[in-house]
Amino acid sequence: MKRFVVVFVALVFVAGLCGTLSAQDRLDTIKKRGALIAGVKDSTPGFGFVDEKTREIVGYDVDFVKAIADKLGVKLQLKPVTSASRMPQLVEGNIDIIAATMTKTAERAKQIDFSYTYFFTGQKFIVKKGTVKSLADLDGKRIGTAKGSTSEQNAAKALPKATILSFDDYPQALLALQQGKVFAVTTDESILANLLGKAPNKEQYEIPDIQISDEPYGLGIKKGEKGLVDFVNKTLLEMEKSGEAKRIFEKWFGPNSTTPLQRGTFKITAGK
Amino acid sequence: MFKYQFDWSVVTSGKYFEWLLSGLYTTIQLSLVAIVFSFLLGLVIAMMRMSNVKPVRWFAHGYLEFFRNTPLLVQIFFWYFGSYKILPTVINDWLNKTNFEFGAAVIALTIYTSAFIAEDIRSGVRSIPKEQLEAARSSGFSYVRSMQYIILPQAVRITIPPLINQFLNLTKNSSLAMTIGVMELTYQARQVESYTFKGFEAFTAATLVYVVLSIIITLMVTYYDKVVLSPMKAR
Repeated sequence: MKRFVVVFVALVFVAGLCGTLSAQDRLDTIKKRGALIAGVKDSTPGFGFVDEKTREIVGYDVDFVKAIADKLGVKLQLKPVTSASRMPQLVEGNIDIIAATMTKTAERAKQIDFSYTYFFTGQKFIVKKGTVKSLADLDGKRIGTAKGSTSEQNAAKALPKATILSFDDYPQALLALQQGKVFAVTTDESILANLLGKAPNKEQYEIPDIQISDEPYGLGIKKGEKGLVDFVNKTLLEMEKSGEAKRIFEKWFGPNSTTPLQRGTFKITAGK
Repeated sequence: MFKYQFDWSVVTSGKYFEWLLSGLYTTIQLSLVAIVFSFLLGLVIAMMRMSNVKPVRWFAHGYLEFFRNTPLLVQIFFWYFGSYKILPTVINDWLNKTNFEFGAAVIALTIYTSAFIAEDIRSGVRSIPKEQLEAARSSGFSYVRSMQYIILPQAVRITIPPLINQFLNLTKNSSLAMTIGVMELTYQARQVESYTFKGFEAFTAATLVYVVLSIIITLMVTYYDKVVLSPMKAR
């Protein structure tokens, strides 16, 4: 009996210890570890992709988490994720932050917390030149995109009669378009512009001015980590103020980049 | 520590349940069609592999080595994307109007699995004493007929346990078809996950369905062996 009580007390103690450990702030964990672990894309040009010369992952998303890591005074550790794997990785605690072209949606916001919008784009289509004048031309057709993305869900909503074919990644969807297997490829304009920029016979294709959704990108943080969210938001606002956010945009999407885009009136601001 | 809220209603009713069900339907279709074709093709290749005509034998040997030794995923991509470069435009245009994703997946699964099945059947045939073939031939049966009536019925029965393995592998391999957009069970489980973030539930459901499906296939083939083939053995 005595032994039982000792074991029981020990167990309660261990359980209590575990409780206090897990309650610890993520921000402290990152500082103690000396590294911020960020989940980024490694094959999405402009945002997160492998540089041919250095063999390192670079891009718009990477520069933002780099700035946050610098501000924290820790090293940046990158972990490649896909659209399908990024949320589970974050929830399971394998990464501290998601910077992977992730659109802020109400559905996702139930599972994780988002930073302020750090990139703004919209969902469009790549099609063969002259085949599409309005959204109606696309309905009932076969539309290609990538798995696990909001693009898939938006397309299904905007084009209820269309067949949505989800490939593993966007380059395959583009190949299917070139082979006539799908009528159009849809995702965020920024990704499309870059895909098209690298396509071998790009002059035959175009991105018509049909937008089916707004896509505000946010950095993803585990639910309830208020300290980290506040720190990230504060850093984002400072980056906007100092002009660093604009510089990063110009670096990857400026007129001389492979994916020229307009930043327009977009600015990182507090709130949604 | 592990604060994950399980919500099984996601996969037991409503829209997402229907998705999984339609995925299961596609998986069954894909597997059954490929099982029938790969068995028939496997028989043909096994016979070619044992043929006395050298070029036929060499062709079968080359076929076996090639399709057994390349990854299935690569073969699926080959039939879906690669075939475009070889085929004339007319056929490509026609294929693009059909559900070619499903077709390409069936072709890849059939050819890949048939190579394994052919080798299993060949080892089954080799376990039948070769005097039987000689007796059949001297009784006036042609090579094909003596195979058809005497050797293969016995060989296939011996081959049944490894055949079950191949059919189970095929069923599970059919999940690779999702890489070219075939909306089978694993594809739908992933869909459910990306819409609801209930990955644990979706994949647990899919796993259970695969297990049940595998058990059904095993029972069906065993039943065929015990009830349909065994009385023939007694005769």
